[in-house]
Amino acid sequence: MADFSAQSYRQPFPFLDIDPTMESLTQFAELNPQSFILDNSAFNFQTFFPLSINDSLFSNQASQGETMSGFIHNSNQSSVSAQPIFSAKTEMEEISNKRKALDISESSSGNSSSTSPQVSETGIKRRNVCNSGRGKRAKSNEKEMEKPKEVVHVRARRGQATDSHSLAERVRRGKINERLRCLQDIVPGCYKTMGMALMLDEIINYVQSLQNQVEFLSMKLTAASTYYDFNSESDAMERMQREKAEEAKELERLMREGYVGIGGVACFHSSSTYGPL
Amino acid sequence: MMNTPQQVKNPSSSLKSRFITRFLGALTKITAEDPISSSSPTRIFQRYRRIKVASNKSMAYSVRSRRIWSRAMLSRFRSRRSAFSGRRSSVKTTNCTTSPPPALIKVTINEKKTAKGGLDMQTDELRELVPGGEAMDVCNLLDETAHYIKCLTTQVQVMRKIVDFYHLSK
Repeated sequence: MADFSAQSYRQPFPFLDIDPTMESLTQFAELNPQSFILDNSAFNFQTFFPLSINDSLFSNQASQGETMSGFIHNSNQSSVSAQPIFSAKTEMEEISNKRKALDISESSSGNSSSTSPQVSETGIKRRNVCNSGRGKRAKSNEKEMEKPKEVVHVRARRGQATDSHSLAERVRRGKINERLRCLQDIVPGCYKTMGMALMLDEIINYVQSLQNQVEFLSMKLTAASTYYDFNSESDAMERMQREKAEEAKELERLMREGYVGIGGVACFHSSSTYGPL
Repeated sequence: MMNTPQQVKNPSSSLKSRFITRFLGALTKITAEDPISSSSPTRIFQRYRRIKVASNKSMAYSVRSRRIWSRAMLSRFRSRRSAFSGRRSSVKTTNCTTSPPPALIKVTINEKKTAKGGLDMQTDELRELVPGGEAMDVCNLLDETAHYIKCLTTQVQVMRKIVDFYHLSK
């Protein structure tokens, strides 16, 4: 099971506030193509992507697991990758040294800094989900090395190009595919077999329909509020008018009676009183 | 509504409740200050527009600045308001906070062309739909789209309930 204390989710900043750090870190990545520093914590906690482990990517990592074990040991025991973590063996020793240095510093900082409870919660949940399929994924879990930190290690598979650009491409594509998968869960009508183009079409349609729904509902709200106001207002007015008319009729009747009963003075008096009516 | 890990915060301050409070406040203000006794179409249309803007604004404020799209929407509202008040500000100011530095933009454009040549049209369409999408790379764009969809569904849900309440109270 995961050893959470050793887990270094080093996020001194709230993990929702990730965008500026993402940008700065991607900038850094551009400057250092070899070391490939990206902040993967964004992928873990920023959004609500369900756990998805890309099994196919880690099938070839059996042999290189041992060398990374020391590295792994520092950070996490088990892995949950919300985004695929590729362990790079194609780079030179300097990279691994850099990594180890980073790792040591990270783990030390991680132990000192307080891991936010929410972070460990999410981690625990993800771990539970992950560990359910642990049997067959044991190997890949070791290699995945869940490091929600800055370093992304890309492993070049057999027969694939190993220059930094294609590695970058692969990482990027992996990220995009993962996000697409999560969007697929959110947007109804997306099938796993659909390609990226179709899914994007569906997503666009869904967003448009949602926006139209908002407009339509606001129109409905306007109508409801106007009708309600108008109706109540007109009712009140009608009632008042009706009451006034009734009053006027009553007074007229009284006036006539008064005229008959009391005589000319009363009549005159009453007529003068009710004149301005 | 999705109850994802990081939404398990304080339930009283969830996105939905924040939106509801804000939107209802705005609604009562709109209906109170402008009683429509005469059903002139212009007045009705004005009210419709105000309600729509209030709905979007309430949602954007509920999300604060945590998202690129909410920041873009808020700055759009602010610039529009300042334009109304007569000042000479451009209506669609670019968001300095959200646009990544030029080097990154260049790289992402190149990447787009090499990696996914056929999908540029759709990503552009998506950029138009999601506020603030022009300055995002595809990765962030998908991220923002997901959150935007979630907020839109909340909006629709809440507004539907309010309409039902109106009908019920009659």
